[in-house]
Amino acid sequence: MKDKLTKEEVLHVANLARIEITEEELESYQVKLKELLDQVNTVNEIDDNNTDYLIAPWQNNSEFREDSVGGMLDPKEVLKNTPRKSGNYIEVPVVISNE
Amino acid sequence: MSKYLDLDLVEINKLLKKKEITPTDLVLECFDRIEKNKDLNCFITLNKEEALKRAKELEDKEITSLTYGIPIAIKDNIVTKDLRTTAASKMLENFIPIYDADVIKKINDSGMIIVGKANMDEFAMGSSTQTSYFGHTKNPWNKKLVPGGSSGGSAAVVSARITPIALGSDTGGSIRQPSSFCGIVGLKPTYGRVSRYGLIAFASSLDQIGPMTRNVYENAVVLNTICGKSKNDLTSFDTSEDFTRLIGEDISGMKIAIPNFYVNDAIDMEIKNKLNDVVQILKSKNCTVDYVDIDYIDKAVPLYQIIAMGEASSNLARFDGIRYGYSYENPKNIDDLYLKTRRFGFGNEVKRRIMIGSYLLSGENATTYYNKAMAIRNKMRNSFLNVFKKYDLIIGPTATTKAYPLGCDLDDAVKAFMDDILTIPVNMAGLPGMNLPIGFSIDHLPIGMQIIGAPFDEAKIYKLGSFIEKELNLDLTPSGGDNND
Repeated sequence: MKDKLTKEEVLHVANLARIEITEEELESYQVKLKELLDQVNTVNEIDDNNTDYLIAPWQNNSEFREDSVGGMLDPKEVLKNTPRKSGNYIEVPVVISNE
Repeated sequence: MSKYLDLDLVEINKLLKKKEITPTDLVLECFDRIEKNKDLNCFITLNKEEALKRAKELEDKEITSLTYGIPIAIKDNIVTKDLRTTAASKMLENFIPIYDADVIKKINDSGMIIVGKANMDEFAMGSSTQTSYFGHTKNPWNKKLVPGGSSGGSAAVVSARITPIALGSDTGGSIRQPSSFCGIVGLKPTYGRVSRYGLIAFASSLDQIGPMTRNVYENAVVLNTICGKSKNDLTSFDTSEDFTRLIGEDISGMKIAIPNFYVNDAIDMEIKNKLNDVVQILKSKNCTVDYVDIDYIDKAVPLYQIIAMGEASSNLARFDGIRYGYSYENPKNIDDLYLKTRRFGFGNEVKRRIMIGSYLLSGENATTYYNKAMAIRNKMRNSFLNVFKKYDLIIGPTATTKAYPLGCDLDDAVKAFMDDILTIPVNMAGLPGMNLPIGFSIDHLPIGMQIIGAPFDEAKIYKLGSFIEKELNLDLTPSGGDNND
């Protein structure tokens, strides 16, 4: 078994997670993520093909609720923590660009 | 300085009812203690002005509960309206929630007074409170040691007798392990017992909020307050009952199981010896104590890594720098905003876990890892349930070690999880589990045991816990606070 991930593998994972990483971090992740993955892989060594999954520990019976209008939030309140806004709108940076 | 906060809740309640003291006296004493213990760094945000205002309001009202007027600390991943909630992350450094978590409403309704938001590991990821963006918390028993984590601030606050009660959250041991390191009683309730609405999600199928207190009875009182179904959390159950009702009942004839894994070589001898002393007491009371096997319990850590990190990577995807929280200045475009906001907003431990989680859930991996983990998790849970067909409770140590030095293992990706090998299985199976202090190490640090119950059987945990507590009669006030800087 190789002892670290390739740079491409780490960059792929960082892209999935939408986290920018530095060259220095890249090297550290090659080793650290591999250590974690090795440990995780011990689960795959378990010889068990059961497909009875536990998704949540205790299942609640689904219930219907009244189809009624609930409490509304004041847009001013909702936007209180928003970093960039314009009136009652949330501002986002350019979505399509050449950079 | 007054010492009302050293009294138990029943005595404080009597004094309040007789009007010998007021909630304001309690809040002022609490802030005196906060000031004196500033160096422990238990709190991220204090709520002094509001707390005093509320104490004043409570003075004229009827005293309706045992927790009326009592100061409480809240772990900083539980949202509090108009009171900064950071989850100990730069990402939420300036976040002011616009609503209260379900548990906060219940805490307020019962007359408790929130004095501050307790320090923790960033997004509850860690077991030593050292990954906090706001600096580490120190252990009140010895300031060179960690308090455990991730609810380390909550544990230290109760241990140092700053507040009698704190709330924590537990995903893989985050209430029980710091309770063990700090010598307090901490319960992770059955999954679904307490609403998670307003708890900043880490791993949704594992997270639970629970009470952290100085003794067993008060723990049960707080659980009475915070439990119950919520329309905002469809995984919560309507299971109200009086959790104190079995306290004081005769324990003779109880059937207790100890998983063989819970006496393995990774556990300190000192801890195993203390547990053994308890076993001898139980046997002398005609309890049966047997050793049992639980399927796959030795695989709980890798299972946790798959399930908790997978769920975390999905839960933490919401931190995008757009709607709330930290946002990178002057991004080139939207992708640049995501990448840089998350690079600069999250700490190392959080980034590592999100990255692994993203990988484990990507493409084919979801089947290879996550489905497999859910299947094994099911088997482990069923194995626990089989034990409860024959036994009332399961016991074992809470942690493999006592509190260890600050600065230790901060960057060891794998070691961080080994602290939790005895607590993670309980979250995996959705069971209730409680830390109970059972003695001290040779250097006078608290040692804890874990009492694990069948689903929704917290009352029985409290029954056994209070018996052992009474039998041991330990002095759990930290002694080392002043002379070991």
